Amino acid sequence: MVALEQGTWVDPGSLPGNKPEYELLGSKNWHPSPNVRGRREDYPVDTTEADLPVWLYNGVGGSSVLYGGIWARALPSDFRARTLDGVADDWPISYDELLPYYQAVEREMSVSGLAGNPAYPPGFEPPMPAAPIHRTGRTMAEGMNKLGWHWWPGTNSIPTQNRTHEGKCVRYGICRMGCPEGAKSSTDVTHWRDAVALGAEVITRARVARVTVDERGRANGAVYLRDGVEHFQAASVVLMAAGGIGTPRLLLMSASERFPDGLANSSGLVGKRLMLHPYAASVGVYDDDLENWLGPAGEHIGSMQFYETDSSRGFVRGAKWALLPIAGPLEAAEKWTDRGSLAGEALWGDGSADRMKSFVRMLQWHIVPEDLPEETNAVSLHPTLTDSDGLPAAKVRYRVSENTNKIIDFNLARSLEAHEAAGALRTWVAGRNFMTGHNTGTAKMGDDPATSVVDRFGRAHDVPNLYIIDASVFTTSTGVNPTATICALAKRTATHIASNARNQEVGS
Amino acid sequence: MTVVNLSDELGDASRARLATLADVLIPGGSGLPSASDADVAGQWINRTLAANPDLADAVAHVLAVEGAPGEVLERLRIERTDVFDAFAFAVSGAYFMNPAVRQALGYPGIAPRRMPAADGEAEYYLEDDILAPVIGRGPVYRQA
Repeated sequence: MVALEQGTWVDPGSLPGNKPEYELLGSKNWHPSPNVRGRREDYPVDTTEADLPVWLYNGVGGSSVLYGGIWARALPSDFRARTLDGVADDWPISYDELLPYYQAVEREMSVSGLAGNPAYPPGFEPPMPAAPIHRTGRTMAEGMNKLGWHWWPGTNSIPTQNRTHEGKCVRYGICRMGCPEGAKSSTDVTHWRDAVALGAEVITRARVARVTVDERGRANGAVYLRDGVEHFQAASVVLMAAGGIGTPRLLLMSASERFPDGLANSSGLVGKRLMLHPYAASVGVYDDDLENWLGPAGEHIGSMQFYETDSSRGFVRGAKWALLPIAGPLEAAEKWTDRGSLAGEALWGDGSADRMKSFVRMLQWHIVPEDLPEETNAVSLHPTLTDSDGLPAAKVRYRVSENTNKIIDFNLARSLEAHEAAGALRTWVAGRNFMTGHNTGTAKMGDDPATSVVDRFGRAHDVPNLYIIDASVFTTSTGVNPTATICALAKRTATHIASNARNQEVGS
Repeated sequence: MTVVNLSDELGDASRARLATLADVLIPGGSGLPSASDADVAGQWINRTLAANPDLADAVAHVLAVEGAPGEVLERLRIERTDVFDAFAFAVSGAYFMNPAVRQALGYPGIAPRRMPAADGEAEYYLEDDILAPVIGRGPVYRQA
């Protein structure tokens, strides 16, 4: 097994979270946008025709290096959006089919949480105990109870006990900048180290230019560039895990005489149906110091009160809420300074000291809305812009839909009510259309080759030995953080490949 | 408009000007120092620009605009929001890095530090059956 990775291994010692400059380093070299980081391995993403920027990380472990670690299974209703709500499509698989794979990867990803969450069917029992919900979660929980609304202690892929490669969480509160303790389950920590020890080879700084095919149309390897020199890696089976932006980019770059519209693109759907989960945030200022900087970050508590469709609200589907720490004063300041903030006052100038002294007395809800697929929201190859190897950059066209905006409006209003019930002195909307890194849907999973890119096992309909194991295969975005479902689907695909190895067609 | 090259160290005059401008944004009070008292224009702006060199252009841009500091920043806030935002981010980033400021704001240490959970801490915050109403209402998911 050979992995071609355009980035490098992450040295935990280089991560910013325990350095005085942490928030400034997180605004440049460790920013979630590749355009801001601008590293050699970061291919540009043109978002001039998008309502929000795009979040992704290029390196061993991919975007799990910078994700927050919130772990949320999709709900049974997520796999049946067409049947239940008459929108989008049903997935070709059900929650029950995915259940054993969720359970398996929750062990591998050291998921911590409390069993018995009534937002899920029985059987969601995180293998590690939940982290403390802290003063933050307790304060908000009391408000949610007054309203009779659902909440539950946070479920995170952040270990609360020591594991082989991971120390337990020590609550730096900076998970979204990478964990300097190695105490967040990014796959460079949880999987790749073991894989290398078992014989896998990871070739870093290897930027794949195209997946190649043999005369029968089977994938037979990849051409990649390393230090400007072209190489070829032969393969019997090819798996792609380049994410919801990178995977369609690579499939489109792999156009050939046999596949003139891009590899695995007979449906014409490669790159289309991009869903981004544009999230919104609300804040409240409270009486007491809530130590809101304490990790994990990760969620302290979550709520699924408004997740399921209620037609009386004027929209379909819903949103997950997460109560997150505020990593430091620069992030707190953004609650005033973000262009989407409705604070109603500037942070700066007279009175700024009092506003700054409220930083540690704030709570924030993050609202993640389900985003439904539309073919006009799409990733394509940029006609002129290139990466540092001269390969086409990604072009993203994306507009937030009317339904998504209605979900956000409704949930933001409810979240302000939650702050008030919890005792907030002041509340406001801190912004919307933030990037999540939840880049889904651009290589749709389905049973019909005419209307999907991959089958129920993630195998390309057009190329029998090409599999995709990232969020691009999502049939719908769901309304939850996607990592749990990405991992479960990848586990299912891997199990299928291993179980059917004798019958697997291979490239030559 | 004077061109300021931040590829070199800021000179004394530029630092004095930066301190005056920064005080417009962060005048201090309520137990917090002003930006100039917190030495924003000294070591902290150096470390800020080292951590995020992209901010240097905005700082140089603002330093090069002549006029009363309050008027300069107000005009930029209206006409060049990108420059104003980046300048304010740089100044506040420098200010918040000062350990005395960080402490006065209520953040522990000079940076996030290890604070592992104590035994029983998770249970402590769930005392008084605070989850009982949630559990009592039963499932909230749809069957599918």
